[in-house]
Amino acid sequence: MNALFGALRTAIDAGVIIVLAGMGELLTERVGVLNLGQEGLIGIGAIAAVISADLGAGPWVAFLVGMVAAGVFGLLFATSVVVVRTNQILTGLAVVLVGVGLSNQLGNGFQGSPVTSRFTSFRIPILADIPQVGPALFDHTVIVYLSYIILPIAVWFLLFRTRHGMNLRAVGENPAAADAAGINVTGMRLLYTTVGAALSGAGGAFLMLVLTRSWSVNVARSRGWVALAVVIFAAWRPSLLVFGAFLFGAMSSLRFIAQQQNWGIPSALLSTLPYVVTLVLILVPAALSRFGFKGRSSVAPGSLAQPYFREER
Amino acid sequence: MSTIETPRRIHLERRLHIGPRRSALVRVAGLLVALGVALLALAVTGRDVPALGVEVWDFLSIGDSIGDSFGLQSTGNLATPILMDAIAVAIGLRMRLWNIGVEGQFYMGALAATGIGIHLDLADPLLLVLMALAGAAGGALWILVPAIARAYWNVNEIISTLLLNFVAIAVVNWLSIGPWRDAAAEVVQATPQVNARLPLVPGSLILHIGFFLPLILAAVCFVVFRSTRWGFEVDMVGGNPRAAAFAGINVPRRILTVMLISGAIAGISGMVHLTGVTFRLQGTISNSYGFSGFIVAALAGASFVALVAGGLFIALLLSSGIALQGAGLSVYIVLAIYGVVLIGIAVGEMASRYRLVTGRGETRSPGKRAPP
Repeated sequence: MNALFGALRTAIDAGVIIVLAGMGELLTERVGVLNLGQEGLIGIGAIAAVISADLGAGPWVAFLVGMVAAGVFGLLFATSVVVVRTNQILTGLAVVLVGVGLSNQLGNGFQGSPVTSRFTSFRIPILADIPQVGPALFDHTVIVYLSYIILPIAVWFLLFRTRHGMNLRAVGENPAAADAAGINVTGMRLLYTTVGAALSGAGGAFLMLVLTRSWSVNVARSRGWVALAVVIFAAWRPSLLVFGAFLFGAMSSLRFIAQQQNWGIPSALLSTLPYVVTLVLILVPAALSRFGFKGRSSVAPGSLAQPYFREER
Repeated sequence: MSTIETPRRIHLERRLHIGPRRSALVRVAGLLVALGVALLALAVTGRDVPALGVEVWDFLSIGDSIGDSFGLQSTGNLATPILMDAIAVAIGLRMRLWNIGVEGQFYMGALAATGIGIHLDLADPLLLVLMALAGAAGGALWILVPAIARAYWNVNEIISTLLLNFVAIAVVNWLSIGPWRDAAAEVVQATPQVNARLPLVPGSLILHIGFFLPLILAAVCFVVFRSTRWGFEVDMVGGNPRAAAFAGINVPRRILTVMLISGAIAGISGMVHLTGVTFRLQGTISNSYGFSGFIVAALAGASFVALVAGGLFIALLLSSGIALQGAGLSVYIVLAIYGVVLIGIAVGEMASRYRLVTGRGETRSPGKRAPP
């Protein structure tokens, strides 16, 4: 496998975390809840997977434990912001602090020791035998295919092709109207904030079980923040989110190519590339639409980060 | 006219108005409850909580082994960047703008000040002024793109300012261990010391005079937003941008100015921390001061009085955390406690908006939501 296809392979793997965490955040924001806690939730999912793998769990069990652990955190967060209606931005930052602090504390004993439980890769018959392209695209763990293909299609179908999905979007756009139409706003918000957090936990678990395979301090390495940004870039659409996540993966793997090929650009500066590119991707469409290029609407869900008070309807 | 008879019950009712005293009281109560929960969790996991308390008290106390109020002075130095950054955020919050990028602006301010401070060798006061100007410019420059994007293209500032934090930290890291690295001191992963230092407060060991800067600045902001036309217009845009536009206020320009001022203040805080505490630029120059400042401002709800009190308190909490690390409690647990406290205050803030009502419910007009 030459460097380019090796990088493609790394890019795909690196993007999975963003797809998972980003898709979780997309669902959460679609019901009008802003969960800034991604960074902490990825940490929780990662450490839960590491601990359960250490206790002898297989990869799938460890992966599920990661999801459930982050889901529990998500439910706590959701209860705080949806039922008690605390400020979503502050509470989200608190989730970052608690999640990062707790996962680092629990991870202290696992520093540097490899995660033994791992997924075996699933070679897609015939396609995986194509030289170069095969190993880069068709020889990944099942989670990768699920994240890039099945999950986005499922979320798209849920959001735009089912009545439940329409209700979900209605809650995010105008909770008062949704409430009047008999939709359970509180239940919907609790459910999808929890599901979203569980997906972020899945991202953390993937990180441990497939990508890095060993615990390190601040394990999310600001991927949680990138996931938040990619949701904006994607204009709250699953298809664009996948594209943005892959682009992030490509930018991160560019750093390794540059090191391999001795391009002479300091790697510290190259490490900023994913953030700069993400920022540009958010700015350019907005700037273009300002100058008269009409793209697809990229307006956030109407009630994003706003608590819903029925008595104020 | 007939009122509808409803059964007797106890229920929550939203308050129409929350006085500042009640608001402060409830936040403090939320904070104490959260601290209690955190301490309880520590006790349950087998920590000797009273001993930890003694450790913190020794660290902060006036008559400890070092001789004087060293712990309090270091708390003052810690409070300075947190308060400055909190003021930077609070100015944005007057307009409902969330500048999470104060951390990056702090780094860029420190970077710009270092650029002047290691390359020019002038008399102290002049050099300090130049460095402060550079710091302000560095911070303002770092928020320029998000500010333009927010003002003219309506791009949400939360994520755009946040992303630039990571870029700023990486750039400072690269400069301080690369091109600007101190070649003379091999062990140091930092630039040479800058050629100017802020004077110490008379009689103190480490507390520098920069500590008074955020206090003065908070007072200035208090006056500006209470009694100047500019402050009133900014508040008006924050309250209702459409109404403000109809009243003839150039809303995008106000947004741009406010964000640039916010960035400049955060940049100056980087310069103050550089010339008052670290003297060298390094990748770890900020211990998440911007993040703490952001939290303080958000909790204080853009009130400058509450901000100063809250900032001093958070600094005390963080410096107790440093003392606790000395006592064997890891930095991560301290971080998690910090998060729990934050949630406690946020819940307290929400609770202050309600009161328990007993008796027959009567139909009443829906209350207007109180400003956050």
